[in-house]
Amino acid sequence: MKNSPQKWLTSRASPPGMLACGFRGPDGKFTCHSLEEVCPVRTLEKILGHFEALKGALFSDQLMPSWTTWAFELGQIRYVERPDGWLLGLVVRSDSEAQPQLDPLSTEFLSLDLG
Amino acid sequence: MASDKNSQAPRQVLFVDDEPDFLRVVKEAFDSLSAGHWIIHCASTADAALQLLKQRKMDLAAVDVVMPMLDGVQFLQLLGKRYPDLKKVSLTGHVTEEKRSACLAAGAELVIEKPLSAEGFKSVYAMLDDLMNWAPQQGFQGMLRRVGLQDVIQMECLGRNSSILEVYNDHVLGRIYIEDGNIIHAAGGDVTGERALQRLLALPGGSFELVPFEPPLDKTISGPWEFLLMEAARVRDELAAQAPAGEPAVDPKTLVAPAIGSVRVVETLICSGAGEPLFDADCADVPGRVLFLKSVAGQAAQLGAIAALGNFDRLELQFDSGRIIAQARADRLVFVAVAKDNGSP
Repeated sequence: MKNSPQKWLTSRASPPGMLACGFRGPDGKFTCHSLEEVCPVRTLEKILGHFEALKGALFSDQLMPSWTTWAFELGQIRYVERPDGWLLGLVVRSDSEAQPQLDPLSTEFLSLDLG
Repeated sequence: MASDKNSQAPRQVLFVDDEPDFLRVVKEAFDSLSAGHWIIHCASTADAALQLLKQRKMDLAAVDVVMPMLDGVQFLQLLGKRYPDLKKVSLTGHVTEEKRSACLAAGAELVIEKPLSAEGFKSVYAMLDDLMNWAPQQGFQGMLRRVGLQDVIQMECLGRNSSILEVYNDHVLGRIYIEDGNIIHAAGGDVTGERALQRLLALPGGSFELVPFEPPLDKTISGPWEFLLMEAARVRDELAAQAPAGEPAVDPKTLVAPAIGSVRVVETLICSGAGEPLFDADCADVPGRVLFLKSVAGQAAQLGAIAALGNFDRLELQFDSGRIIAQARADRLVFVAVAKDNGSP
């Protein structure tokens, strides 16, 4: 059964400490939510938009991770890219309830039927 | 108390607020109220505040909750990590329970509404002055969440100190032994060695105290402290991810954690900030890894410019077969590859 990415995002990706969450679809369009004003939608769009540059600089066909986590002093950025082109971006506050949810959410996203 | 004050060096007080008019009023009011006992420093951005903190030791920082780019709550967290001894208060136009909880959790000692009248300034002055006069406790103590146990260990190791870090809560006492800047032993509950170090660093709360060094009966830990701390951070995240929702990663009574799959370190490389190898264990391609770490540093700088999340710590890459952790700091580059079972990341 197909899942609506928007619905999944709003129902699952909002534990306390989640600053922003969103997708870049295979068509290149963004669907982003900001949960705290410190990370507005525009910032998350820039974060998602930067993924291709990161990928080009760091990864290759031989070194293609399931997901990557950029850990900063105050928060973490998680990128999860699916083979069908969907890209998930999550920004969480460090040591928050949202941080341990990154792995379960990433696993869930990879197995979603997005059609 | 006036004679006490006269014998004290003036207090260095930093106000951080993006409203220049408020800063001007604050300076005038507190200059007058303190009669020269406070030296007031003002910063209208987090960057400017950090510059001032680099230049001189402050006794107190009063931070506006709502600021652009890096908000007050995040800034308090940053201050807590970089300046654990600095007393911090939040100033806000309107105190809500949500704001109060967030600021206190981020390390603020007090959350105060911005004063609007002369009486209000007098009252805030009294509170802040009182806060700065609290006598510091003997020795070095901290709360796990607020000061950062990892930061203290890092500080001891970087300073090549010898000490014992006692980590405790109501149920358990653990000890981490540091000798000449190396972590040599850890014990807590029924656990010893690197596992004890990882569990103590994964405790959901508690206190710690730095006490004079005495040699342990046994030395159970060896290896570079950078790697040990990084691996502990990785294990903590992994335990937290595996723990049931709302449950701590480690049982605070027993230090018992859910069993995790067997993993082994397959490659370690530690370099200076310039990329000169300092330690290498089974690293197949040192120049390639150094190049990768430098690229990580470059990309982290670009990401950091987009998202105001403070200094970069590490990049973690998750593969089906294991994980790579790449740490890129100004003074150190670290590459660690960990494989699950017989896999190779």
